[in-house]
Amino acid sequence: MATQLSAEQMGQNPRTPREIDVPAPTAWPFVLAFGCTLMFAGLLTSVSVTLLGAVLAVAGCIGWFWEVFPHEHEVTVPLVPEDLRLATERRVVERLPVAAEQLRAWLPVHTYPVSAGVKGGFAGSVAMAVLACAYGVLRVGSIWYPINLLAAAVYAQSLKLESARLYSFHADSFFIALGLHGLVSTLVGLLYGAMLPMFPRRPIVLGGLIAPVLWSGLLYTMLGLLNPLLASHIDWLWFMASQVAFGVVAGLVVVRQSRMPTRENLSFALRAGVEAPGIIPPRGSGEKRP
Amino acid sequence: MSSDAMAIRNVEVESLPLVETLHGWLTTVDHKRLGILYIAYALLFLVIAGIEALIIRIQLMHSHNDFVSPQVFNRMFTMHGTTMIFFVAMPILFGFANYLVPLMIGARDMAFPRLNAFSFWLSAFGGFLLYFSFLGGSGLYGAGNAPDVGWWSYAPLTARAFSPGHSSDYWTLSLLVSGFGSIGTAINILATILCLRCPGMKLNRMPLLVWLNLVMAGMVLIAITPLSAAQIMLLIDRYLGGHFFDAQAGGSAVLWMHFFWIFGHPEVYVLIIPCFAFMSEIIPVFSRKPIFGYPVMVAATVCIGFVSLSVWAHHMFTVGMNSYANSFFTITTMAVGVPTGIKIFNWIGTMWGGRIQFKTPMLFSIGFLFQFLIAGLTGIMMAAAPFDWQLSLSYFVVAHFHYVIVGGILFALFAAFYYWYPKMTGRMLSERLGKWHFWLFLIGFHLTFTVMHIPGLLGMPRRIYTYEPGRGWDTLNLIITIGAFIQAVAILVFVANLVISYFKGDKAGNDPWDAWTLEWSTSSPPPAYNFATVPVVASRRPLWDQKHPEDPDSRYD
Repeated sequence: MATQLSAEQMGQNPRTPREIDVPAPTAWPFVLAFGCTLMFAGLLTSVSVTLLGAVLAVAGCIGWFWEVFPHEHEVTVPLVPEDLRLATERRVVERLPVAAEQLRAWLPVHTYPVSAGVKGGFAGSVAMAVLACAYGVLRVGSIWYPINLLAAAVYAQSLKLESARLYSFHADSFFIALGLHGLVSTLVGLLYGAMLPMFPRRPIVLGGLIAPVLWSGLLYTMLGLLNPLLASHIDWLWFMASQVAFGVVAGLVVVRQSRMPTRENLSFALRAGVEAPGIIPPRGSGEKRP
Repeated sequence: MSSDAMAIRNVEVESLPLVETLHGWLTTVDHKRLGILYIAYALLFLVIAGIEALIIRIQLMHSHNDFVSPQVFNRMFTMHGTTMIFFVAMPILFGFANYLVPLMIGARDMAFPRLNAFSFWLSAFGGFLLYFSFLGGSGLYGAGNAPDVGWWSYAPLTARAFSPGHSSDYWTLSLLVSGFGSIGTAINILATILCLRCPGMKLNRMPLLVWLNLVMAGMVLIAITPLSAAQIMLLIDRYLGGHFFDAQAGGSAVLWMHFFWIFGHPEVYVLIIPCFAFMSEIIPVFSRKPIFGYPVMVAATVCIGFVSLSVWAHHMFTVGMNSYANSFFTITTMAVGVPTGIKIFNWIGTMWGGRIQFKTPMLFSIGFLFQFLIAGLTGIMMAAAPFDWQLSLSYFVVAHFHYVIVGGILFALFAAFYYWYPKMTGRMLSERLGKWHFWLFLIGFHLTFTVMHIPGLLGMPRRIYTYEPGRGWDTLNLIITIGAFIQAVAILVFVANLVISYFKGDKAGNDPWDAWTLEWSTSSPPPAYNFATVPVVASRRPLWDQKHPEDPDSRYD
């Protein structure tokens, strides 16, 4: 659609003045600035330069004063006739059907509750732990090896152990690994819960493929620089497999939860459940709050 | 919005004699003319500082070069840095603010027109005083010296024992003078925005450019004052026997560092926030979508304003601060990346799904987005104190801040030039020359500053006069110098475009980009009084409302 508005169409406003007062041009600010600069320059050249600067600065101040007192000097500028044109083009697009009470669509319309992310994170953490422990048992002969390695990410004491002791149980490393695993899994689960509605057609592609590959690739490139000792103990194939296991299981659990309408378009009072007369319309008989 | 126009055309404008024209420019208090004066003056210094940069790059082109003497080399990098920050970047951004802010808020002029003129002339004379040092500043190396102690002027290099003569004094006094001008301009911008908005323009309807300049002006007031104070202290040290920065007499050289950087890092944001403002106006227009997340953009800017005042000592990790200070400044520096990241996200969100028009302003804007992101990421790397210990004072740091200043600020400025030049002159800049300018500058920029990270990682120190062959720096430095010359060619194309288009460019009309803010509702160039009648606005996009009465933004406010 194109609209063209011209001066003729807009018509002449009877309130439009014929002349407009604007501040009068003046040399005094220029003189004052020059004087100030010379005063400073005189400190490095000659006292006469400073004196000249001072004279100019005083003259500038006085001139400026008379410029604005008792009345500000202005000049009257005649109104210049203008030919203003406002042309525009706008492509007409199909609109998303939106409920009548909403002015604009809020996307996504439905999302997962926070609990879905927590559940997904917990389920994913179990899957990841099972695979990691399987790696420990099958490849290195100790279930404690991956646990000690995980703890070593934040607990230097764990890596200081001799290689042989990485294979045995240590209570401090175990509890640190357990806490770390639980915390990070929950946070990543929450992230999945928030992000999966952005990939509504193939949610598992995000959790089971894109995120694990990106994360593993990032760690693979960075860990050698950040902590080469820890990097040397990691089997990256199994590492990626455990990441994929987490993503697939967490993603599956999240997408099986029932979605709820997003509340972004509701007022804060309504979202917070505050009874605020005047803001929240009164409930009809038997009606439930969203 | 209501706007008035009279349907009378073909008005003859008398051309004035040259002397009267010059007199008109010298005595003007019109914000638009002062804005153009700021910009022209900054462009002059851009060319001068650019030539200094080329001299630096020729000197470093290969090992054991002696294109200039070590003394001249020191003057060149000092004058290049000082000029680019204080006499190019700041005045050019003040120029755009001067020109655009009153037009965008529907005002006839700045709040204090005479103070505006005074501030400009102070800034201008400050620059001329600095360059007078080439003639009058006898110093360490004999007669006729420009400052040569680096643009930070660290103590004790500026003490009389190490910097005899007046070269350092010219540096101090010129920045003091221009600093007063900057404070005057900042007060003017603040007063104009807070007091002269047209009816209906509530704070939440102000264009983002106006919001961001409001934050910038507030930061100038906070940041310039400690620098001015430090310069007065330095003068007292040098001439009145003071010992503020004399460690042997109970003073502290580190004190100067704190004073300088408590100005210096907010200064980076003083420069980049107006560039964010350009992006926030240009990207929506060329994406044909309103800005994504207006309130969040405002909040992020205010947040950047506050947080950036608490990051200054990340420039001082190698000084030997205690671990608490190191940790604090690491955290705050990383934290400032969050609101900045939000802005980048929102600009991309604005482009997402838009009908993007790849005109020259948009090309420079996209270049800005990419390069400023990289600059931010290397900034986050440098924010980690242990990483900084390895690379501080290396060419990696030089590459990082040139990514901010050239890749960010200069690209945004070029976008602004191509976008608002039609408003200022009534003529369109040539798209063909604009694209040549963009691609040449993009190639030159990356050859120079992307490659520059590598010699930094290989250990090449900044401000080094020359270097031994065989360190792996030779080829890289040659590439960097070639890139610098390609940038210079691009700048020549840009200047040619400015001049040719002024005389032969297509007529712009009042609204060549189909934009939405008030400055496009008046003629190009605007008359002295800006608007025949003061406009009344009902939304953030008053021209959209006028063009689309069937679906005005005011419906959603």
